[in-house]
Amino acid sequence: MTGWHADDETLRRYVERIDSVAEGASVEQHLLSCAQCRARVNTAATAVDPVVVDLAAVWDRTRDAVEVPRPSVSERLLRAAGLPAHEARLVAVASAFRGVWLVGVAAVLAFAALAAAVGHARGLWFFLAVAPLAPCLVVAFSYDRRWDPALEPEMVTPYPALRLVLLRTIAVLALALPAVLLFGLVVPGQAPFAWLLPAIGFVAVVLAASTWVSPLNAAMAVSAAWLMTVWLVATRSASPAAVLQARSQVAFLVLAAASFGIFLVRRRHLRQLRPWR
Amino acid sequence: MTASISLRGAGRTFGATRALADVDLDLEPGVIGLLGPNGAGKTTLLRLLATALPPTQGEIRVLGRDPEVPAERTGIRRRLGYLPQEVGFPRGFTAFAFVDYIALLKEWTEPAARHAEVRRALDQVGLSDVATKRIRAMSGGQRRRVALAQALLGSPPVLILDEPTSGVDPEQRVTLRTVLAEIARTSIVVLSTHQTEDVAALCERVIVLDRGQVRYDGQVTELVRQAAGRVWLADQPDPAATVSWRTGTGRYRNVAAHARDGVEHVEPSLEDAYLLLRGELPDSQPAKEVAS
Repeated sequence: MTGWHADDETLRRYVERIDSVAEGASVEQHLLSCAQCRARVNTAATAVDPVVVDLAAVWDRTRDAVEVPRPSVSERLLRAAGLPAHEARLVAVASAFRGVWLVGVAAVLAFAALAAAVGHARGLWFFLAVAPLAPCLVVAFSYDRRWDPALEPEMVTPYPALRLVLLRTIAVLALALPAVLLFGLVVPGQAPFAWLLPAIGFVAVVLAASTWVSPLNAAMAVSAAWLMTVWLVATRSASPAAVLQARSQVAFLVLAAASFGIFLVRRRHLRQLRPWR
Repeated sequence: MTASISLRGAGRTFGATRALADVDLDLEPGVIGLLGPNGAGKTTLLRLLATALPPTQGEIRVLGRDPEVPAERTGIRRRLGYLPQEVGFPRGFTAFAFVDYIALLKEWTEPAARHAEVRRALDQVGLSDVATKRIRAMSGGQRRRVALAQALLGSPPVLILDEPTSGVDPEQRVTLRTVLAEIARTSIVVLSTHQTEDVAALCERVIVLDRGQVRYDGQVTELVRQAAGRVWLADQPDPAATVSWRTGTGRYRNVAAHARDGVEHVEPSLEDAYLLLRGELPDSQPAKEVAS
C-alpha cells in the first residue's frame, strides 16, 4: 500500500479505455494493490456513458462471433445477387445447395459436354439427353420428402410455403442454368440457349406435377419421357437439331407457361412438396 | 378473452383407418397431459392442433381461428410452438444454427433480436454450453432438447409437444417441468407422454385416449382418487387383480378393477389409475403381469 493514488483524469481515461497501453498497464498494476482506487474505478465506471461499457452488448457480440454460423458459399452468392440476408439463408439451407449435388450435376454435364465437343455423334446425343434434365432433377431432389423426412417444425411456421418453393426454384435455376449454358457453348453446332427452354419447361412440369405426386416421381416421369423422345428422334434423324428447332422451342415455352399456371392454381396442394430444405 | 382451443366432433381418418373420432375438447391455459397406448391417436390429435394435418371431420378453433382458412392458419402458426414426435435436422447444423433457422421461418428477421431469442430458448432447455456443437454429434436427449428449443421460440401462447421428455435424463426432465410449468401460467401447453410421472408432476388435467377416442378427461387428482382402495401390496401376484407386477422390494403390487378389503392397501399412483382405466376398456386388457 503506497500513499500515492491515481488522479481522477487518469482513472477516467482508464475507464473509457482512451489511455495508452503503458498508462493502462501501470494503472492496472496500481489497482491490484489499492482498494481505494478500485472503489473509485467502480464509481467512475458507473458514471460513464453506458455505450462505452455496455457489457451486455459486448457479450452478445462476442457470442454472435462464436455461435452464429458463417454463411456458406451459396448463401454469400445469393446475398451478392441481391437477396435479403434472411431469405438468402432460407434458400441456401435447401439440400440442393449442399455442394455435393452441385458438383455432381456439374460433373455429369461436363462429361456430356466433353463427349459432345470431341466430336462423337453419340456424345452429342448424350448431352442433348442429359443437359435439359439436370435442373429439374435438382429441383425434385431438393423438395422430395423421402430425401429428408420429418420436417414438421418447418412446415408449421408462418413463412409462406409457396414463396419458399419459388425462391428456391429460382435459385436452383440461377445456379444450374448458367452451367447448362456454359457447357452448351462447348458443344458444336447448336446455339447455347437452345437447351434453356426445355430445361425451364421441365422444372415447371415437375412443380405442377408435384401438387399431385412426389416431386421425385414427377422428375423421373419427365426424364423417362424426355429420354424416350430423344431416342425416337435419334432413330429417325441424323442430327439432334430436330429436337431443338424453332417449332419445338415454342412447344417448350407453351409447356413451361401452362405448367406454371397449373402450379399456381393448385398451390394449395403443396403438401406433397416439401419446400423446407 | 382467455386463450383457448376448441374441438367439436373433430376426427381424422387415414384411408380406411380411423385415427381419431368425434373428439370434443376445450383447452385453456395450463398443462394438459395426453396419455394412451401406442396407436391411440395422441400424435394425430397433436398434429391436428398444430395445423400440421387437417381434420377429415368436425371443426377446430385455435385461439378463435379456423386452421382450414389459409390466412387464419398462418395466424395460428404465428402463435404456436410445435415439437413433433420426430424431428429431422439438416446435415452439418449446430444447435444454434438449427434454432436460428426455425426462428427465420417464424419471421424473426432482425438478426440481433433473433440471436438473442435463440439464445434464450437454448438457455431454457439447458443447452447454452453446447450451442456450437453439431446436432449429429449430440446425444439423443440433447437432440430432443434442441427440437424443444425451437418450439419455445417467442414464448408462444400455444405449445404442442409430442413426447417432449423422451430420451431426456431425469435431471433435465425436472428442469423442463419447471420451464413448462412457468410457460403454462399464460399459455396452453398440450403434451403427450408415456411417462405417467411427468403427467403427475406437471399436469392439472389429463386426457386419456384409446383407439382414437377420449376415455377420460379431467383432473389428475380425480383420476388417481378413482383407484383408491384398489391398489395393494402382497407377497404373491393376486389372481383377483387386473394387473400385478413385482416391485423393487420383491413384493407384488396388485391393481384391481374392484375395491378389495383385508389387504395391505397403498396410496395409488397415476400409473395405477391409468392401468386400471385401461383394464376396464373392452378388448384392451393389458397383460396380466407386466414387466416392471
